[in-house]
Amino acid sequence: MSDATTDATLPKTAAAETPEGPWRVALRKLFRDRTAVGAIIVLVLIVLACCAAPLYAKYVSQSDPFQSNLDGSITLDGNSVDIMQADTAGLGLGVTPIGPTWHGQYFFGADNQGRDVAARMLYGGQNSLLISFFATVVTLVLAAIIGTIAGFIGGLTDTVLARLLDVLWAFPVYLLAISLSIVFISKGIQIGPFTIPSNSLILPIMIIGIVYVPYVARPIRGQVMSLTRSDFVLAARCLGVPSFRILVRDILPNVTTTLIVFAPLMMALNMLTESALSFLSIGVQPPNASWGTIILDGEDLLYTQPMVAIAPGLAIIITVLALNFLGDGVRDAFDPRAKLRVKKD
Amino acid sequence: MLLPILRRLAEMLFVMFGISVVVFGIFFATPGADPAARIAGRNATPEVLAQVRHSFGFDEPLPVQYVKVMEKLFISRDLTSFVNRGEKVIPAVVESTPVTLSLVFGAAVIWVVFAIIMGMIAAATRGGIPDRLLMFLGLVGISMPVFWVGSVANLITQSRFHHTFLFSWVPGLGYTPLTQNPGMWFKQLVIPWITLAILYIGLYGRVLRANLVEAYQEDFIRTARAKGLSERRIMVRHALRTSLITFVSMFGLDFGALVGGGALLTEVVFNLPGVGRLTYVALQSLDLPFIMATVMYSSFFVVVANAVVDIAYAWLDPRVRDAR
Amino acid sequence: MTLRRWLHSSALALIAASGLAAATAVTAQAADHMGGTLNLTGASAAGTIDPQINYTSQFWSVLFITNDGLVAFKHVSGESSNDVVPDLATAIPAPQDGGKTYVFTIRKGVKFSNGKDVTPDDVVATFQRIFKVSNPNAGSWYNVIVGADACLKTPATCTLAGGVVADDAANTVTFHLTQPDSEFFYKLATPFGDIVPADTAAKDLGTSPAPATGPYMITSYDPQKNMILKRNPYYKEWSKDAQPAGYVDTINYTFGPKPEDEVTAIENGQQDWMFDSPPSDRLPEMASKFPNSIHINPLFAIYYAPMNVNIAPFNNKDARLAVNYALNRKSAVNIYGGPRLAVPNCQVLPPGFPGYKAYCPYTKNPGSKWSAPDMVKAKALMKASGQIGQPVTVIADDQNVDPALGTYLVSVLNELGFKATLKVISANIQFTYIQNTKNNVQISISQWYQDYPAASDFINVLLSCGSFHPGSDASINISGFCDKGIDAEINKNLITAVTDQKAANAEWGKIDAELVDQAPWATMFTPKQLDFVSARLKNFTFSDQFHMIYSQVWVQ
Repeated sequence: MSDATTDATLPKTAAAETPEGPWRVALRKLFRDRTAVGAIIVLVLIVLACCAAPLYAKYVSQSDPFQSNLDGSITLDGNSVDIMQADTAGLGLGVTPIGPTWHGQYFFGADNQGRDVAARMLYGGQNSLLISFFATVVTLVLAAIIGTIAGFIGGLTDTVLARLLDVLWAFPVYLLAISLSIVFISKGIQIGPFTIPSNSLILPIMIIGIVYVPYVARPIRGQVMSLTRSDFVLAARCLGVPSFRILVRDILPNVTTTLIVFAPLMMALNMLTESALSFLSIGVQPPNASWGTIILDGEDLLYTQPMVAIAPGLAIIITVLALNFLGDGVRDAFDPRAKLRVKKD
Repeated sequence: MLLPILRRLAEMLFVMFGISVVVFGIFFATPGADPAARIAGRNATPEVLAQVRHSFGFDEPLPVQYVKVMEKLFISRDLTSFVNRGEKVIPAVVESTPVTLSLVFGAAVIWVVFAIIMGMIAAATRGGIPDRLLMFLGLVGISMPVFWVGSVANLITQSRFHHTFLFSWVPGLGYTPLTQNPGMWFKQLVIPWITLAILYIGLYGRVLRANLVEAYQEDFIRTARAKGLSERRIMVRHALRTSLITFVSMFGLDFGALVGGGALLTEVVFNLPGVGRLTYVALQSLDLPFIMATVMYSSFFVVVANAVVDIAYAWLDPRVRDAR
Repeated sequence: MTLRRWLHSSALALIAASGLAAATAVTAQAADHMGGTLNLTGASAAGTIDPQINYTSQFWSVLFITNDGLVAFKHVSGESSNDVVPDLATAIPAPQDGGKTYVFTIRKGVKFSNGKDVTPDDVVATFQRIFKVSNPNAGSWYNVIVGADACLKTPATCTLAGGVVADDAANTVTFHLTQPDSEFFYKLATPFGDIVPADTAAKDLGTSPAPATGPYMITSYDPQKNMILKRNPYYKEWSKDAQPAGYVDTINYTFGPKPEDEVTAIENGQQDWMFDSPPSDRLPEMASKFPNSIHINPLFAIYYAPMNVNIAPFNNKDARLAVNYALNRKSAVNIYGGPRLAVPNCQVLPPGFPGYKAYCPYTKNPGSKWSAPDMVKAKALMKASGQIGQPVTVIADDQNVDPALGTYLVSVLNELGFKATLKVISANIQFTYIQNTKNNVQISISQWYQDYPAASDFINVLLSCGSFHPGSDASINISGFCDKGIDAEINKNLITAVTDQKAANAEWGKIDAELVDQAPWATMFTPKQLDFVSARLKNFTFSDQFHMIYSQVWVQ
């Protein structure tokens, strides 16, 4: 696996010292990539901030971001200010939530239930991150299993699996996700003795995880197929190496690399999908929150308190951007010839 | 040559059949989706309800209902909505197609032009400041949720800056047919075009740059350089040409998916009555005939785009046939 | 245009009637306002436009100006819009046979938009059609007509023989009822009673309109896009109370935009009126920028949270009372748009409705008016109920303020000690979902708008044993509340109403209070209708029954 152009960019010292495994080389490369390191730092900060949500709610915003607060007021610069501000001028119609105070309480203002948007964003971030992370795990695990089985065994198994993937693939992602969500969100699922309630995070995780399986399974299948037919595997077979051994020794490590390259990019994609589903009100269910649902709340207030929609949007952009930068870095490090690309839409 | 095409057609049919079964199954698994009650009205007596259920055939076994729906969809072509009764499904889909086509064509023109410009500038200045800046902007474009961009665009053009000279020309949300008023058609679609194109400009610009950079290392470029051709000529006549193969195949897939309803979020945010919004509304109201028709329609485009791209690819590059 | 025109404000109409000079002046002035296109908009269409089937206030407003029944609600602003006046009939007939027979004389010279005359046969066919197309209220309203039983059983062969009888020579139609019905004229005045030609297909017309008799006719309708109404060439005004001529030439009703965007479109002059209620946060801006474009009118409606009295935890009366005491109706009112747009309400009937008598036990100072929640009492009741820690799911639909009200209710329930969550489901299925006992819905957000001004339309329809059908999607008694004693009182009072409306209304008030004490619901508020119109829309006319009258506004 050598390539003239990438060898030139490899650190010369690496070759001189004791030979290192490909993983260590890749990791070392990754950590030399300043953009990737920057992305990792940003992501760590975001995760830490979201983990600190309960602390923020308790000590900074001093309100429960899941309880409506339609009658309350806060003290701002010594004055008492209503959170839901009734119109006093003119006809006295309508109630508008408080806008960004840029102070500890109601930093980004309130939503139409009088809840602190900044505190909800931190809690919502937890859900957005959890869903996109575990959906990625689901996608990668399923894709690895299906892709490897199809590519390695071939024959009828391959045909059946490949056609199944085709069905999933031809199903426009959002349509599939929406159809699944509408069913599960209104009913929940019951599998044997286990009941998954309709407001469980497991549902969006599974839905998003499943719809993207073909995106990863198809390239893996292709990769496994070409490896199975490659000269060194044929040679091993001729020497009588058992299939299982070939799978474990020669094929799986390659698949693992592919998965690692896909991971951050899939997570970025999943985060966007989660927000879109929540925006269409079929992702995370209230009173739970995610960045997508907060944008949906903000959509109702778009023309009066746009910050409710803009702030979580920026949070999504920063996180997805960091994941994409990290993805670029990981790909450069693990897959220098950049064979793999994630299709996006 | 004929056999592979026939095989491909059979595969397409199989995939579409699979999708129709999945959609039908999903719909009937939904509680409260019984269309009879909604058709009968808000304080219908159980007797009236039973009559309605019978007259629509909801009391028959599922496979029979499935066959009936498919028969009405493809053979007699007179399938009507469960929610807006009497509304024929097929004309509704046909009527919303020009909206989606207008949106996607306009956006495609924008994204292809800008992505090529962006990719070429970045490749020409690779490693330099313009390259880095453009690649960063491209990644930002990829990272933005399209519905959010649409909402912010609405905020700016419809409300905050609507009364300034910048956006006072922006008409209300919606769609005017090209044949009715071309000027209005254009004005209403410009903002949605740009919103939809942003993601693809970033994506295609980055891919094109990568391909161009790769192409620059190929032998034929070195030869061209050695022959003393100008950089510009090398870029346009040689590098760009080879790099466009990936570009074109990506375009085929994305275009198919978008025409098939993938532009759903953009259509919803800008209230464009296209196929995506039609699908979304149908899913929200659990209107099975519409769901079936729109999903079949969109999967048709995706499947066809896949097949066309695969065949084109195989035709361009025989090696691919083995890898698939 | 040679038709006679007038101004439709009642004061001016009086002047017009009082003198010829004034009348010509008004005619000239009104003529200036003729023509133009009225642009209406709504988030979505409301289904079929078959007058015998559509049961939505959204399209009843349209049918109000396109089609006519034998009688009609007066097409005017204010309280007299609740009055029934003769329309295609020449007069309101006097009851014969103790209220079991009515003879209508059909007006001569009225034509359908297809050029044919309206005849007694059309009337008979229309009432058969009510059964043939499975009208939603066929079994609950029109079953009082002789012969209705057979029609309900086998709709296809419905004749209503002996129930609705035409006499072509005398140009009359005679109705025979099985029992006196105090609400019969109301039932004829809704669009279900709109007369259509005898040869109209006996199936749902869907998106193709029935021939019109009013000043406008629907010329195209696409539920995904828009509906267009144009002048009916065969219309000639016969009664300005029952069906006055219209001002604008064309009405274009666009479907699709979200309420926020509808507000913006009206502010920018791109639309003239919106069906949906404007989002609460936009109101201050609208009120300050366009104070003359806002019209507020009372509605006969309630927003309420029906509690399922047959399953835990709300089979416990203390738990239901606790919710009622804890519910801060002011917060709910604020969600809807503030005190100018909604009135806190504790009971079944909306304020001002026939039979309404103010009563509210669930407040800090119990009496006739709600003042503040009584959290202490609520918590005590909650403790007594033993339901603390019980899981509760609130079911709300996804339209307008309903999700916000649901979120707020969850908050209240959690404060009381329940473990509450919210489930938002599509408005298209929520209403039937919460009715079906199979779905085990504990509490939900719902609303009820009157069909016609009679207390039974709330009390009898929503809380009688007869409207509770376990396991059916059509069980409008969402709470599943059935009290034999109260039910007997309701039935007795329905009979009283035929002869003595006043005594019956007093009795409805008492029954209302008894129901409130049982607390099958937590009533939240009675909304008001806020219409936001463009700067160019003038002569705003609002009927209590069908809201803005599209034919009476002008745009130039």
